[in-house]
Amino acid sequence: MIQITNLSVDFGGVRAVNDVTVNLDQQIVGVIGPNGAGKTTMLNALSGFVRPTSGTVVAFGQDLLSMSTYRRARWGLRRTFQTEQVVEDLNVWDNVAVMLDPIWQNAAERRAQVQAALDYVGLTGSEVRLGQTLNAYERRLVEIGRAIVGRPRIVLMDEPGAGLSETERDELQALITGIPDRFEAVVVLIDHDVNLIAATCHSTAVLDFGSLIAYGPTRAILQDDKVKAAYLGVEASHGK
Amino acid sequence: MVPGSLKQDTTAQGQPVTSWPTAAVSLGNVAAIAVPLILLALILPAVLNAFWLRALTSSAIFALAAAGVALLYGRLGLVSLAQIALLGVGSWVTLRLAHATGLPFELVLLGGGIAAGLVGLVVGLPALRMRGLYLALITLMAAGGFQVIVGGTGFPDGGPGFLGRVDSAAARQLMARPVIAQSDSAYFRYVLVVAALGFLLVALHRRTRPGRAWALIRKSEACALSAGVNVTLYKTWAFTLAGFLAGIAGGLLAGSVGQLDGRNFPASDSILLFALTVVGGAYSGLGPAITGLLFRAFPSLLTAWNVDGNLAFIVFGAALLHALITAPAGVAGQLSDLVDGLRQRLKRQKEPGQ
Amino acid sequence: MPNLGPFFVTGLAVGAIYALSGVGLVVLYRASGVLNFAYGAIGATGALLAWQLVELGQPELVAWLVGVGLATLLSVGYGRVLAPQLAYRDTVVKAVATLGFALVLLGFTRWYWSDDPRKLVLPTDTMGLSMIGVRVTGTRLIGFSLAVLITIGVALFLNRTRLGLSMRALANNRDLSALLGIRVLHVETWAWLISGVLAGLSGLMLGDLVRLDAIVLTFLVIPAMAAAVVGRLRSLTGTLIGGLLIGVLEAVGTPFQTISPYRSVAPFIVAIIVILWLQRQRVITFAGRE
Repeated sequence: MIQITNLSVDFGGVRAVNDVTVNLDQQIVGVIGPNGAGKTTMLNALSGFVRPTSGTVVAFGQDLLSMSTYRRARWGLRRTFQTEQVVEDLNVWDNVAVMLDPIWQNAAERRAQVQAALDYVGLTGSEVRLGQTLNAYERRLVEIGRAIVGRPRIVLMDEPGAGLSETERDELQALITGIPDRFEAVVVLIDHDVNLIAATCHSTAVLDFGSLIAYGPTRAILQDDKVKAAYLGVEASHGK
Repeated sequence: MVPGSLKQDTTAQGQPVTSWPTAAVSLGNVAAIAVPLILLALILPAVLNAFWLRALTSSAIFALAAAGVALLYGRLGLVSLAQIALLGVGSWVTLRLAHATGLPFELVLLGGGIAAGLVGLVVGLPALRMRGLYLALITLMAAGGFQVIVGGTGFPDGGPGFLGRVDSAAARQLMARPVIAQSDSAYFRYVLVVAALGFLLVALHRRTRPGRAWALIRKSEACALSAGVNVTLYKTWAFTLAGFLAGIAGGLLAGSVGQLDGRNFPASDSILLFALTVVGGAYSGLGPAITGLLFRAFPSLLTAWNVDGNLAFIVFGAALLHALITAPAGVAGQLSDLVDGLRQRLKRQKEPGQ
Repeated sequence: MPNLGPFFVTGLAVGAIYALSGVGLVVLYRASGVLNFAYGAIGATGALLAWQLVELGQPELVAWLVGVGLATLLSVGYGRVLAPQLAYRDTVVKAVATLGFALVLLGFTRWYWSDDPRKLVLPTDTMGLSMIGVRVTGTRLIGFSLAVLITIGVALFLNRTRLGLSMRALANNRDLSALLGIRVLHVETWAWLISGVLAGLSGLMLGDLVRLDAIVLTFLVIPAMAAAVVGRLRSLTGTLIGGLLIGVLEAVGTPFQTISPYRSVAPFIVAIIVILWLQRQRVITFAGRE
């Protein structure tokens, strides 16, 4: 579904993403790896916030890298950020509805889609609350609401679980798992919480020092010796 | 503001939060603004002498220009230090069109507005794709550049050729005022109406898609881009709109005083207008009105009291520093806080049991 | 084609001072994140005080030292008292605050020293020598040499001394530098000091070479900033080249009747060309400090 070929990203002298070729072919794909492995950079390259040095990305028949950043968003590539981007001045409804501004549709359809997104993340009843009044978890929900409103095609999530409590993470898990069925979008999820990845992702890619070291069904990946060595520094021969 | 502590009423960047107008333009809102304006328009020309009437006409004109600056700074965090130069462009073009074509006032006014909007666009566009600091830099240079250019070319005053200059002082023409507003009193009302329309134009933008796009851009460009907002386009649109307002104000100024020259548009005034926009309040509709009064009525007051006008600069500079450090929402913000405070106190008095 | 020689020389001299001003701006900006719009006003105040002291009969050397001293005092004063109150705001707000300071200084200098024409005369104005068929006054020679030497000196300072290293660290990443134990306030104060001294020197020289007038000197911050833009607000060599280029472009327009009244637009033109060049590679900003 998302075919990444020879993707490389350089910052100054550092190669942050090194010749990554992978076909993300499941509905929910995880991306894991130690800090600095290039996960967020890869996400930034996919969503247009960083220009890759080389490589192509084709998703649903569309060459993503040929589109400018805002056009990718309009096409249906959505993302959440590590630092929340809720606009304090706007209320919850508008914060989510802005995603549909560039799209020509009638008002009733727009209202229905925004309401569906807010209902899905559990913010029904909070529509008129200003962004500044939301707590951290509610802001995270608004971000997710933005990512799924309307007709998303790809949803990129960058550490959505960071800073959440146990219960909140369980709710997040349920939300993520339901996205492909409910909104017909593919989810690519970066997170450090291996449990979240294991519970939600059908397949997982592992990056280390910018290179792809493994890709496959999540369960197998998490047992893989190479992966354990990269994460834990345990030598492959001693792996369980 | 220490990082890590968020006051209830400021965004993460330390800017004031203004509640977004979500309701459509209601009769109540319109009346709240229109009624006082109508009263002012009717009463003031009757009670003021010629000097003060001129001063308030001027204040309204510069309030309109300030509305453009406030839009850029309050909504988008963009610093434009060229607004007076753009006002000058508007004046210049309006004068040129008026003397050359004799078209009705409204049309030449529009011509001035459009010209200023385009000039603003050309000057600002390269810098809009870079860090905000560069826009401040380039607009300051543009203001200086305009002063130099218009010092050399002069303002059109009825003569032939592209520059429209006449040789002798005797033959210089004044610009014709609109047919319906020849006298000072009538012109004051005319200016109030045009300024109100300008403010309305800004409000309409704020309540619709451009306003939301601007709010996203102010949050961060990344946020805006990920929402599919064409950031460059919307920044450019805001800049052009601000230039348009400056141009209209310039045309109104030309009609007010009839003749202008380069000394009316020094670069220091562009800086001053920006400073006073921050002081008056860049985050509400009332702010630019206060700015207009500070910019023109206050110096007139000093003149009336025989105080050197340069002292106003010292006061305004200090006021800008004060506003930035302690009161980012400006005088308008402090006034609205005052009103809110009074309202709270009245509420508490009504419920003694609480 | 008129003889451009003398204008070229004049342009180099004034341009060198633009470059010197630009260096002061860049050093301060890199170390503290403040682009000081009041730079010209600070220099103007110092220059006018120096003139005043000479008028009152003080020896010239003393007057100039006091003038530069005042400029330094104003710069450090702002940097220690007002700038820290905005330390956590973004660069645009910090720059806007210096506009306030500029207005205060401008108001004061125009009020105290009204617009009467006055001249700052340095003894080196009358000395001179002939080079390549053009007469160069002592002031211009000194100005040029001083500017080049100081630029090199500042570059050496930044690269070879401990304080210079601290300044470069601060410019690179302020928070990280604080964590590493660099005394931020201490280093910044030095930056404001150096910047103030350069502002005072530039003010004096430009008061002599251009005009001793509060407004003119205040707005000579424009060519200084244009020079800094050529250096991309970071490179001293670029600033030096930019300043010289702007000075020469401005000056060589003088003998041409049609463009002569507009030659002070040169800094703007240079700056906008550089910005057009720089903006090809667009940088996406997240909110807050840029």
